[in-house]
Amino acid sequence: MTPLQFEKLYEAEWAELESALDRKPSVIAIRSTSAARFTSLYRRTCGHLAIARSRSYPSHLVDRLEHITARCHQAIYQQREVGGAWLVRVIARDFPAAVRAHRGYVIVATLVFMVPAVIVGLLVYAQPELILSVVDPETASEFDSMYSKSAESIGRIRSADTDWMMFGYYIRNNIGVAFQCFAGGLFAGLGSLFFLAYNGAFGGALAGYLTSRGLSSTFYSFIATHAAFELTAIFLAGAAGLRIGHAWLAPGRHTRQQSLITASRESVVLLYGVFVMLLVAAAVEAFWSSATWLPVDVKYGVAGLCWVGVLSYLLLQGRHAR
Amino acid sequence: MSEGLDTVVAAETPEGILLELRPAGLTARFYAFGVDWTIRLMVLYAVAMVTGLMGGIGLAIWIILLFACEWLYPIVFELASSGATPGKRIFNLKVVMDNGLPVTPAASITRNLLRAADFLPFAFGFAIASMLLRHDYKRLGDLAASTIVVHEPKPATHAGIAEVSPLTPVIALAPRTQAALISLALRAPRLTAERVDELAAMAAAVSGDAQRSGPRVTRRVLGVAQWALGRRS
Repeated sequence: MTPLQFEKLYEAEWAELESALDRKPSVIAIRSTSAARFTSLYRRTCGHLAIARSRSYPSHLVDRLEHITARCHQAIYQQREVGGAWLVRVIARDFPAAVRAHRGYVIVATLVFMVPAVIVGLLVYAQPELILSVVDPETASEFDSMYSKSAESIGRIRSADTDWMMFGYYIRNNIGVAFQCFAGGLFAGLGSLFFLAYNGAFGGALAGYLTSRGLSSTFYSFIATHAAFELTAIFLAGAAGLRIGHAWLAPGRHTRQQSLITASRESVVLLYGVFVMLLVAAAVEAFWSSATWLPVDVKYGVAGLCWVGVLSYLLLQGRHAR
Repeated sequence: MSEGLDTVVAAETPEGILLELRPAGLTARFYAFGVDWTIRLMVLYAVAMVTGLMGGIGLAIWIILLFACEWLYPIVFELASSGATPGKRIFNLKVVMDNGLPVTPAASITRNLLRAADFLPFAFGFAIASMLLRHDYKRLGDLAASTIVVHEPKPATHAGIAEVSPLTPVIALAPRTQAALISLALRAPRLTAERVDELAAMAAAVSGDAQRSGPRVTRRVLGVAQWALGRRS
């Protein structure tokens, strides 16, 4: 068969496929033509491509068939995950299940944050001037004013004039830290360990300093509520980072790259939840935690509820699904 | 499929067809990144002019936009508009999975969050090192997400072919020879006449003109190519 005969014989089929693909470059294209017709045309065209290649037919013919089959391949096998059903599945099952599947990493990440936090916190509490080895004197005095009982809004940095601005600041800063905590894990987990320990030590130093200055009631009532979301999210981001670092260091029976790919695919689910939790944390921190008109007891009560809610969601949600 | 110099990566489909992916190198991706960077800078600058008048809430909107530009911009574009940020689209680049399929949400999020790791130790040092060392130009985020940035294949153009009347060959032609003649005929319009004459002289045996050359021989050889394509006088 000559190339021209070949082209003439199957031209109608290729044109039908092309027009189906042109109508909508997505899954819908497959639904609008009947799916069976589309896939059978695709398989036949794959056969034509193989024939055209093996008979060394002219390059424009082979190129065209390659182009058609590549587009069909994309239309048929693509995974359109994102959507309402996907979101529900992630919230109801995938995210909490991923947290439990990574519980070893979550525990390590929590310890890497908390141990420096407690040690540095106790040291600074015993010797408040040690805070000056962490921050400069101006920042330390800013801490005093941020968490003083007379502050207009707790935790607000000097340059910010509204809670809204702090909301934006918390989103950018906290989610950025969480993402870096994850990405740093790529280097054998060292980046995650560093970010966790550094933030732990810094938070501990702040807590120890403010406690020694007698500002504990404003400070702890400030952090208690959003910490349920924010600290947990940072631990989870660190855990995801540790997972990919560990997968790369100790790939087991896989190649290093395959192990890294699997670990990334499984641990990135944690980041979905981390992102949402940090959005919630930023809103709570900017508008609820910072409020000075709320009685301290109410804040602690709500904080308790948030902690119970977050922990039971992570530990219990979706355990029997599947 | 060719080894060595060529950087084509083959991905096999379940139907047993090999798709050719052409990985995009450092230069193309650097330009695309530059365009994306400029776009984001301009958007942030333009929005700052408006939000600057709105006080605290305006600043909040701007900071959130800054965050979105830093982390979400590539993810949103890769998932929304078939795997390419505006910068990549300008340079005809596209992010696909290793198997040639459109990038999945999980992979896009992974590769773009790990950009922070690629950025280290400074100015995308690890990304550049990885892309220069690897045959498929992947950066660390691409490695973990099993994605690859490719040059998008251009739609096949129907190459023009020299119009000469078909001529029956004087010797039996093997399929390889026929394919070579057809390629020559397809390329002829893009070559100088002298070069086509030289190439046609090598194939002159097919039209019974062995050892001869010149425009007349070329026309006869191209005529045999027309015959091989399937045209008959």
